[in-house]
Amino acid sequence: MSRKILLVAMFAVLFGVFATSMIELETLFNTYGKTYFLEHGYAETGASNLVTAILLDYRLFDSLFEAGILLIAVSGVIWISKHDVEEKNAKFMIDKYKTPDLFITFARLVYPLMLAFGFYVIINGHISPGGGFQGGAIVATAILILYYIDANKETNIGLIVTVEKILYLLIVLMASISIITQGAFFTNFFNPSADADLKAIYLVLLNVLIGFKVALGLWTIFTAFLKEGR
Amino acid sequence: MNPILTFIVILIGFYGLATSNNIIKSVFSVTIIESGVILLFLNLGNLEGGAIPILNDQVSYIVDPLPQALMITTIVIGSTVTALALMLCIKIFHHYGTVEWKEVLGRKDVKS
Amino acid sequence: MVDFFQSLTLIEMTAYALQALLIMIAFAIVIHKNNGTIVILIASFSLVTASLYVINNAPDVAIAEVAIGSAIIPLIYVISISRQREFIVLDKAMDDFIIHDNTFTGVGYILLKRFSDFYHLELNITNDPMYYKDTVSRDQVLTEQTNVDLIITKDPQKEDGYVLKGKASNILMSKLEEMVKDYDNIRLIKFKDRDLGE
Repeated sequence: MSRKILLVAMFAVLFGVFATSMIELETLFNTYGKTYFLEHGYAETGASNLVTAILLDYRLFDSLFEAGILLIAVSGVIWISKHDVEEKNAKFMIDKYKTPDLFITFARLVYPLMLAFGFYVIINGHISPGGGFQGGAIVATAILILYYIDANKETNIGLIVTVEKILYLLIVLMASISIITQGAFFTNFFNPSADADLKAIYLVLLNVLIGFKVALGLWTIFTAFLKEGR
Repeated sequence: MNPILTFIVILIGFYGLATSNNIIKSVFSVTIIESGVILLFLNLGNLEGGAIPILNDQVSYIVDPLPQALMITTIVIGSTVTALALMLCIKIFHHYGTVEWKEVLGRKDVKS
Repeated sequence: MVDFFQSLTLIEMTAYALQALLIMIAFAIVIHKNNGTIVILIASFSLVTASLYVINNAPDVAIAEVAIGSAIIPLIYVISISRQREFIVLDKAMDDFIIHDNTFTGVGYILLKRFSDFYHLELNITNDPMYYKDTVSRDQVLTEQTNVDLIITKDPQKEDGYVLKGKASNILMSKLEEMVKDYDNIRLIKFKDRDLGE
């Protein structure tokens, strides 16, 4: 009990330090960054969604390594759940789980709509809210519905992970093309003075690649969980 | 005012992490801390207010887009890291027969 | 104080109300004991945070939070919570030890049911022929590498006897050892396996 009181006292001190630091924040705060993005963002990247402009152009180096962390985490999940004993879906004597028929019917109805919405969010990432990361998550949720329709669906996890690795290499290559055309790594491969519609080609291509990579990664994760111990 | 209220959420998450007995309960606390940190970043970007950072002819004053771009990837990666932790939890249960921190760490064959 | 509330716009008032709701849900998650209830709370937590992201002018982040926090995160939590409550038994004997007269009234089933009810576990028994083809020496590999907690085989030394095989690291095995002492024809073997950390 005394430990908990000590813990709460420590948190009270932390809270006090944070609250006093917030008072001085007004003097530290500046708006140089966002005025720069507002004035030059559309002209330099061709994306009216400034978040996509930062993700895919100004800070593409960060995004690449964050996509890499996703790949590493997926590989970790696969490695932990893997074993040498060959295993198929074991049949348990008392298996009570059965999906209701009404749910299956509605899932079949909703599945194509969700898939289409996911692709819409991916492709329009540079002009409206959305992009590769969000659209990939929506596509993965749509694929998840397939497992409700058919619980004994067989999925080859090894093939999905291989495709995901190839997609990651393609993303890195696509980001590196600019070394030939522009002389600089990780930026748009069209000239900054080019037309905005032309530069949108690069943004859409990179968004589609990232979207498929995120969707495959999340698909692998919940497949590994659904197969675990079955 | 908003960042201070968000900081309380982060502190509640740390309290749960320090006092939980169950391993899965600790993973829940990590999820809370993560959401609190994301909200704190967005609050700091929105400190002076402004429009959504999607440009058209009328927009003249926007919120800071940089924290938002950083936080999108944090959400996707946070979900996969949670999945990794939960997969380790399942393995620990089938190896030791329990998911209580005290029982797992109190065993003789665990070197800690 | 009244002046402060009157100076707020409707959006700001909603933001403060949602922040208070967020703190309450976070506190409920931390103090709640039942893991199944917490999954529902964490789904509502991510919905409230998504609305707060929209109020903070970040629709991109809100889409990502809704897509991931509403479906994938609760699913993996539900699966891992249900997996930590189950006890998987592999039946290699394939006779009336578990199923007697086509019902679950065999000697072994009553023993295992009593054991799993004591720990509030869910008993899952499989007799898949795919595992049955393996030789006896593979039993230790099976318990180490897969999630199988207990393997039932026939006793090669004694007529009409059974052997239960489990991991020595599993703390549930010491209770099962006590319960097995009441039966003459059943004995328990505990494999000393490598530690997870090595």
